[in-house]
Amino acid sequence: MRILVTVKRVVDPYARVRPMPDGSGIDTGGAKFEINPFDEIAIEEAVRQREARGDTEIVAVSVGPSECEDQLRKALAMGADRAILVETGDPQDSSVVAAELEAIVRELKPDLILMGKQATDDDRNQAAQMLAARLGWPQATFASKLTVSDGSATVARETDTGEETLEIPLPAIVTTDLRLNEPRYIALPGIIKARTKSLEKRPRATTALPKTRPLRYETPPSRPPGKKVGSVEELVSELRARGAI
Amino acid sequence: MSMAQPYSGPRTDAFGGSFFSRLPERIAIPEDFRGDEGLMISSAEQFSRKEVLPVAERLDAQEDGLMPALLRKAADLGFCGIDAPEAYGGLGLGKNLAARILEFLSLNASFSVTIGVHSGISQAGIALFGNHDQKKRYLPGLVTAETIGAYALTEPNAGSDALSATTRAERVPGGYRLNGTKMWISNAKWAGVFTVFAKIDGKEFTGFIVERSMPGVRVEREEHKLGLKGSSTARLVLVDVFVPDDNVLYEPGLGHHVAFNALNLGRFKLSAMSLGPAREMIGQAARYALDRRQFGAPIASFGLIRQKFSDMAVRYFAAESMIYRTGALIDDAFDAHGSDVAGNRRACEEYSVECSACKVFATEAEAFVLDEALQVYGGYGFSEEFPAARHYRDARISRIYEGTNEINRLFLADRLRRRDREGRASLTSVGDSYVSELAGRAMREDVDDQVRMGALSDLVMLVYAEQSSRLRASQSGIPIHQTLSQAVTRWVNPFAAVAFQTVTGETVGLPSPPTASIDELSDAVYAAGAPL
Ligand SMILES: Cc1cc2nc3c(=O)[nH]c(=O)nc-3n(C[C@H](O)[C@H](O)[C@H](O)COP(=O)(O)OP(=O)(O)OC[C@H]3O[C@@H](n4cnc5c(N)ncnc54)[C@H](O)[C@@H]3O)c2cc1C
Repeated sequence: MRILVTVKRVVDPYARVRPMPDGSGIDTGGAKFEINPFDEIAIEEAVRQREARGDTEIVAVSVGPSECEDQLRKALAMGADRAILVETGDPQDSSVVAAELEAIVRELKPDLILMGKQATDDDRNQAAQMLAARLGWPQATFASKLTVSDGSATVARETDTGEETLEIPLPAIVTTDLRLNEPRYIALPGIIKARTKSLEKRPRATTALPKTRPLRYETPPSRPPGKKVGSVEELVSELRARGAI
Repeated sequence: MSMAQPYSGPRTDAFGGSFFSRLPERIAIPEDFRGDEGLMISSAEQFSRKEVLPVAERLDAQEDGLMPALLRKAADLGFCGIDAPEAYGGLGLGKNLAARILEFLSLNASFSVTIGVHSGISQAGIALFGNHDQKKRYLPGLVTAETIGAYALTEPNAGSDALSATTRAERVPGGYRLNGTKMWISNAKWAGVFTVFAKIDGKEFTGFIVERSMPGVRVEREEHKLGLKGSSTARLVLVDVFVPDDNVLYEPGLGHHVAFNALNLGRFKLSAMSLGPAREMIGQAARYALDRRQFGAPIASFGLIRQKFSDMAVRYFAAESMIYRTGALIDDAFDAHGSDVAGNRRACEEYSVECSACKVFATEAEAFVLDEALQVYGGYGFSEEFPAARHYRDARISRIYEGTNEINRLFLADRLRRRDREGRASLTSVGDSYVSELAGRAMREDVDDQVRMGALSDLVMLVYAEQSSRLRASQSGIPIHQTLSQAVTRWVNPFAAVAFQTVTGETVGLPSPPTASIDELSDAVYAAGAPL
């Protein structure tokens, strides 16, 4: 079995970043970059599936600038067998990513594609769904449990009304929710072993253009601080004073 | 010289003490840790944050089995054999990288000393001075932490004066019979293997590998300590313990080489371990200061609080610059010499002046940082509800073990002078800075009392600190490093003037200080939530 895992380079989710003064993008300053946390869960899940099944190849794929190599190295250290970087500069939107991934999928013919349900930088939650549409493959999003057997996958999803369990035929796309697993620490021997694994860089396979265009990035207006009131009377008079009632 | 190439390969033109008399073209800087080395370091940090810090209180309560389990978890990730030889289960990585990883494993000091002793001085004697059979028997188990290691040199009446040990080894057929008491032995409660020093027939100081399972080995009296409450510190009592010939480390009568060379590396690693808690508390205190409001403003905005963060960042920067410069030099020395026991000895010894300078400087920087960080918390710093109190207590020991800072101070300048007499270093200073110029002049004095020798050592240490900070700033090309390096110089100069006066009796004028940069540095620390 072959599992393809997607890896997006995102700015450290805990870093404080600001829009650039002209609003044309985000100033990431000296912030660190990480693997999108949901993608890390996808890698971990792929490794667990391999541990359970044996005989599985895990290919990590990133679409983006050459710096993504750092994140792919980490994916290799976490257990991916090989990595491919499609160098695109900034891919700009999910439709470009999905088009590039489609080309890779048609070449590698994986049985399962594991993707983060969204990326923590732009929260778009689109790439997996677009890829599924392009491939015409079944998909299960927001997986909190995954069991793979020959020819199909069973996926549990937590919804507002309770847990939903789906069965989908392979090949398929599954996106990961936070609850799916907790990625393990990266062991130093794994990092050393990753030095000898293949990381292939290749140019874009498509000429897909972005379908969206960001107009402006700006900081949300700061909210005025709240006020603690001592009694219902005080609350009512405060609300009156502000014209809320 | 901005954005110079990363440090790579042995720099054969450097030698122990050479920083005093010449300026290297390039030094190793922490920014050189790149790519997958960064991954190893961040894996260590994650381990500290997720596995160690959350159980700090339970560790301090000596919860049964918790520390050994944590050590084994760390070993599963490779953290207990980073620089152990590959042939015996280790990863065979360099000592500099091992030290950086250790810094990030050291955010809690009880765990730090446990893993530091286990992966450091307890293994170093065997790895560097053991024979093949000894390495094969002991290192793999230590690397996996299946067996925990300890190092037993100190005795109730032999501390700084370690060679006055009275633990005896009598020759008996097939080996030795050991009798004596070792005190303050870290990891004793859990250890299965001890590197023990004893005198054969009361004379020849010798290293032995002692297993806990040998009849007559007892571990007694866990100490009640000021800090490091989560670590184990106890006595090792040896009563007629038979140790076979196969377990003699190196040569009978040459135990001091084993003991002191292990300590040289130990001092270097301890300096990195001291940075861990300092790093952690700079970040914690910065967040607290931004959050805590008095007089209608975050306390972080007050000048005297800003000054603390600026000073903390400056000490941390200087210590960090010295340590990771030194580690790369040690790695070079091992590359150049370390193919056999004699070469290992040479490699451990070569940078002993630098190791002592790092130990004294970093442990005093740690003490300063943890004291000032506690002050930032005000009364909350004095409470166990906040992290400052534990770090403060835990840090006190750093200036005492691995050679007290007094012993290291006596050693430092004295050793540099000895190297000069042996033709292995020069006492003519580079003179590229105020402190270097003063140190060169002070070195010409005849110094025979401890107070002046201590001051002379301070000068040597400050030369190394100032120069390492300055070279790092010019190499890293990171703008804030320039500010930090100038602040290091600003702080070092008056300190050096006083030391110079102590050595020579002469007063000297101070150069005009570089402009202060408290706001810039404190703002940068607040933004980073960490040292810079
Ligand atoms: C928590 C803890 C863990 C330890 N772990 C270990 C371990 O794992 N293995 C081990 O072998 N040891 C260990 N030690 C022992 C430690 O290394 C010694 O405590 C240290 O070397 C100092 O020795 P001492 O306590 O006997 O002090 P002393 O030697 O009695 O020193 C007392 C004071 O006198 C000063 N002094 C001593 N001699 C001189 C001199 N010639 N000139 C000027 N001043 C001097 C010292 O600097 C110090 O301030 C540990 C100690 C502690 C507290």
